[in-house]
Amino acid sequence: MKVGQQCVGCGQCAAYCPYEAITVFVRAIMDEKCIGCGTCIKYCPVCAISGDE
Amino acid sequence: MKAVIIGGGLGGLLAGAKLSKTGYEVEIFERLPFIGGRFANLEYKGFKLTTGALHMIPHGSRGPLAMMLRDVGADVTIVNSNPMAVIRMETGEDIEFHDFRKELSLTKRMKLGIILFLSLKFKPKNDISFEDWILKYFDDEFLLRLADSFCGWSLSLKACDVPAREMLEIIDNMYLYKGSGVPVGGCGAVAGALAEVIKSNGGKIHTRTFVDKIIVDKGMATGISVNGETIPAGIVISDIGHTETCRMYGCKDLEYLGKIKKIVPSKGIKICLASDEPLLGHRGVLFTPFAERINGANEVTNIDPGLAPPGKHLVMSHQTVLTDDLKGEIDIGLLDLKKIFPGKKYEVLLIQSYSSGWPVNRAASGSDIGNMTSVRNLYIVGDGAKGKGGIEVEGVALGVRNMMKMINAT
Repeated sequence: MKVGQQCVGCGQCAAYCPYEAITVFVRAIMDEKCIGCGTCIKYCPVCAISGDE
Repeated sequence: MKAVIIGGGLGGLLAGAKLSKTGYEVEIFERLPFIGGRFANLEYKGFKLTTGALHMIPHGSRGPLAMMLRDVGADVTIVNSNPMAVIRMETGEDIEFHDFRKELSLTKRMKLGIILFLSLKFKPKNDISFEDWILKYFDDEFLLRLADSFCGWSLSLKACDVPAREMLEIIDNMYLYKGSGVPVGGCGAVAGALAEVIKSNGGKIHTRTFVDKIIVDKGMATGISVNGETIPAGIVISDIGHTETCRMYGCKDLEYLGKIKKIVPSKGIKICLASDEPLLGHRGVLFTPFAERINGANEVTNIDPGLAPPGKHLVMSHQTVLTDDLKGEIDIGLLDLKKIFPGKKYEVLLIQSYSSGWPVNRAASGSDIGNMTSVRNLYIVGDGAKGKGGIEVEGVALGVRNMMKMINAT
């Protein structure tokens, strides 16, 4: 998952991530637990996350 | 008549509930998978955090939002905070909010009574900021700090960025509607209850549905387009703010576009803390005028323990963003919290920041330009069109009330 500049750091993706793979501090950061399921893309309110690495 | 609503945030849901109750056929289109926008619950590690707002209704069960919820028949219980608020003094001592006058000299206390009485009656017509207004009459450091703390907590602005007339409208409303409350079940309970009202009135709510554009014919909104399909409507309501809305119909009205340019979204940082023992131990807001960045905090589990796992407590702090260095701002906020809760054990659950496309308010308080757009039958609701003197969600409710008056007048 790639997090774009639009990310404001609201933490919505972290809460909805089924794999607890996202931490948020200023912006969202995915760790190695991410399997690319794309849940975060649907929940991001500013369309900051995209599937391509 | 059919009313389509773009965006299922609090403004969209309130408008939907009001209109469906009045007999309109309501259809709401929300692009996210959930309703409530920045007034929704966010489940995290067993806690009910929020997508944006605090679990709080600024004027509790007596305010404009509570009145509107009762009016549409939304089943929400709001518990008023008692004490309404306390102030953490420089010494570390907490005083009741209403006792702040006791911290002033006798002369300033008397002057405050007179100036406030006169200013509430004759609000300044110019753009003097609340900070300058205080400096003009009092020049008191404690009052300035308290003003920054209050404006930061309730509006996510510094006192120098809030017009005094807007702040005096807010003080008016505080006398009228009194202090804050917490909705049982959190923000999500309010959004859920409104959705129930809309559905029971025959309305429809679609999530994960993008609206392509607003259709305008001869200066009048006639419907929207969703996935290429035209949905005709007698009224189009937008809960996504003026700026995004005018893009959706290719607005070319220079006067309206000029007004929109002046709208500034407000930024903020919310830090969610979990603890085994209560950190505040009361139901009110804690104002922290002597902290570097944190404006205030509340502990919602003292009203609704269900917002945290059994035996746990949930505190949320809020701070305005003062510089462009967001990381630095958060670090100072975290240090503040250590000083506010000395010797207490807590876990930082989640640090949430809000700005630009997902801000605290789409229109910072005092920069709202109302519900009207450049075309007929298209109205804005939500935190981009708050009513005068309305703190956060109270402003959203007042904005919807204003819009209903406009619709009923046409």
